[in-house]
Amino acid sequence: MKKTDIGVVIAFYGVCAFFLYMTLQLPQSAQIYPLCVIALLAGLTTLHVFNIICVAIREGVTSGLESLKDFVPSQFFTLFIMIVIYLAAMPYLGFYIASVIFMAASLIFLRVKLWQIIAAEVVVIALVYCAFELFLEVRLPVGELLESLGY
Amino acid sequence: MLETLGLMGNGFINALYPVNILAMCAGVTIGIVIGCLPGLSAAMGVALLLPMTFSMEASTGMIMLGAIYCGAIFGGSISAILIHTPGTPASAATAIEGYEMTKKGQAGKALGTACIASFFGGLLSCISLYFFAPLLGQLAMKFGSPEYFWLSIFGLTIIAGVSSKSMVKGLMSGALGLLLSTIGMDPMQGVKRFMFGQSSLYEGINVTCALIGLFSMSQALSLAEAKIKQRARATQFNDRMMLTKEEFKTIAPTIGRSWIIGNLVGILPGAGASIACFMGYNTARQFSKHKELFGHGSYEGVAGSEAANNAVTGGSLIPMLTLGIPGESVTAVLMGGLIIQGLTPGPNLFVGETAQMTYTFFAGFVLIQFFMLGIGLLGCRGFANISRLSDAILIPAVTILCVVGSFAIHQNFVDVVIMMIFGVIGWLARKFGLNNAAIVLALILGPIGEKGLRRSLLLSNGDPRILFSTPICWVLVALCVIGILSPVIMDKFAGKAEKEE
Repeated sequence: MKKTDIGVVIAFYGVCAFFLYMTLQLPQSAQIYPLCVIALLAGLTTLHVFNIICVAIREGVTSGLESLKDFVPSQFFTLFIMIVIYLAAMPYLGFYIASVIFMAASLIFLRVKLWQIIAAEVVVIALVYCAFELFLEVRLPVGELLESLGY
Repeated sequence: MLETLGLMGNGFINALYPVNILAMCAGVTIGIVIGCLPGLSAAMGVALLLPMTFSMEASTGMIMLGAIYCGAIFGGSISAILIHTPGTPASAATAIEGYEMTKKGQAGKALGTACIASFFGGLLSCISLYFFAPLLGQLAMKFGSPEYFWLSIFGLTIIAGVSSKSMVKGLMSGALGLLLSTIGMDPMQGVKRFMFGQSSLYEGINVTCALIGLFSMSQALSLAEAKIKQRARATQFNDRMMLTKEEFKTIAPTIGRSWIIGNLVGILPGAGASIACFMGYNTARQFSKHKELFGHGSYEGVAGSEAANNAVTGGSLIPMLTLGIPGESVTAVLMGGLIIQGLTPGPNLFVGETAQMTYTFFAGFVLIQFFMLGIGLLGCRGFANISRLSDAILIPAVTILCVVGSFAIHQNFVDVVIMMIFGVIGWLARKFGLNNAAIVLALILGPIGEKGLRRSLLLSNGDPRILFSTPICWVLVALCVIGILSPVIMDKFAGKAEKEE
């Protein structure tokens, strides 16, 4: 048994409880199907609990962190925060400015050579512009900043 | 019969339109690039480029996605042969013999063999696509609401098959997907369910956003978590890529056997190219007259593995196109492509005007194999250099493409947030042994099953016996049982193949 399985079980019971609470707010006739699915998920999670108990008795308990052995927390969380800031900044800065800043910041953080940063920025931005703006005619967010400047 | 032949002929004429040729060319090239980059998968590539097909005609869009699929499966062999790192799991067996050949200075021959075997594997798989798909489509025309309910249940039992390690965890992933599929308007009562005040969730979670998040964004997060490593420089090669007549004669029976294996594995829901490549490789060794070369660089081994994994492509499209059941992750993404075009996968694809689109796609799928051969043989040296591209560049590039792809669907920022949420769910699912493909399958099949069940019960005034009222229902019930048992059978096959290897 892996200790991380306990976290998985708690998360799944949490999802069941959250959806159960919301289902009970629905009119009674609309509750039946979601309740069946919640019962199925809760049942399978309980089956998984029995499973992990059996494995724990038979084979003992491991940390379950083997899947995280190559995990570099500082790198992952820095990049993750960068992505969140990138998404949060996009409505204000617009797609292109936010993307250029995000890409440059993440590539500098990952210690990519300067010429590779410039080349990657040019290729990705050109690809997006040609494929989405020209070909698909998607109007990507201009951002409040550029809108206030009259673009 | 004559009508079908007419559709087939028209399909080829339509597939040869310049726009379709361009889509094949671009799709195969993009697919090979994605395939030869270790860390990027075929499903991820197809999901990432799904939004590009929005404005295309349905047949052109599907041809492009099919070309990416085939290209990616072949592309995986390039890095497998040159740097001993399979670009996709489907090329794991190719790395064994391919890299040994590279060490002996026969990299060109290994790549040539992979290219030719992939071509024939893919081409022959089209035969079963042409033969079985319309037959199964005709059968599915007889389906009513109870049959559709059982069909979706059958699709959901496949979840057990696509789960990688634990069947229960696979089923839990599927149930989570089912629960997420209830978000949106209740199909019978018109009640808003779990919409959190977002009107964009009226029609439920957008499957394309979920696909991009689960397969592409989660991949970017997975790349972000590990230390960035410098990849080995791809071996430069100068030897001939084309095989001699004698060499071709030697691998011809191997290709034939691998075609049958790959095709059957492709049709079986839950199995995939990663299993087929090992089965093809082992069969090649069993029947080889030069068994002693295996493990030391046998081109027959490369042919066995590559023909089998490419033969999966045509086979795997059959259950998706005819029954609307994607048996594995790439076909689930391709099904998303069909849904985006406003088409419902299933028997309706083989009647009326949509039949023309379907046969154009089939013909395109045949022609894709020729493009794969040409681009593969001519561009191997260039693609070999791409396989060195650092993960450091891929992380922000893939992230930006995920953002722009999900935004393009409705030009709505909520879709980007949904994509990101599914990206995190997908990353966590990978970390803790859950299954992204199962979540997607349930997300797609959930509404079909719900409608089938509730309509059936409405028709019978709540009598559940309607669900067992026809022979087709019973056949589907039997298939559900087989679906549940399939992981045990597949485990035995995979275990046997790996043990022999």
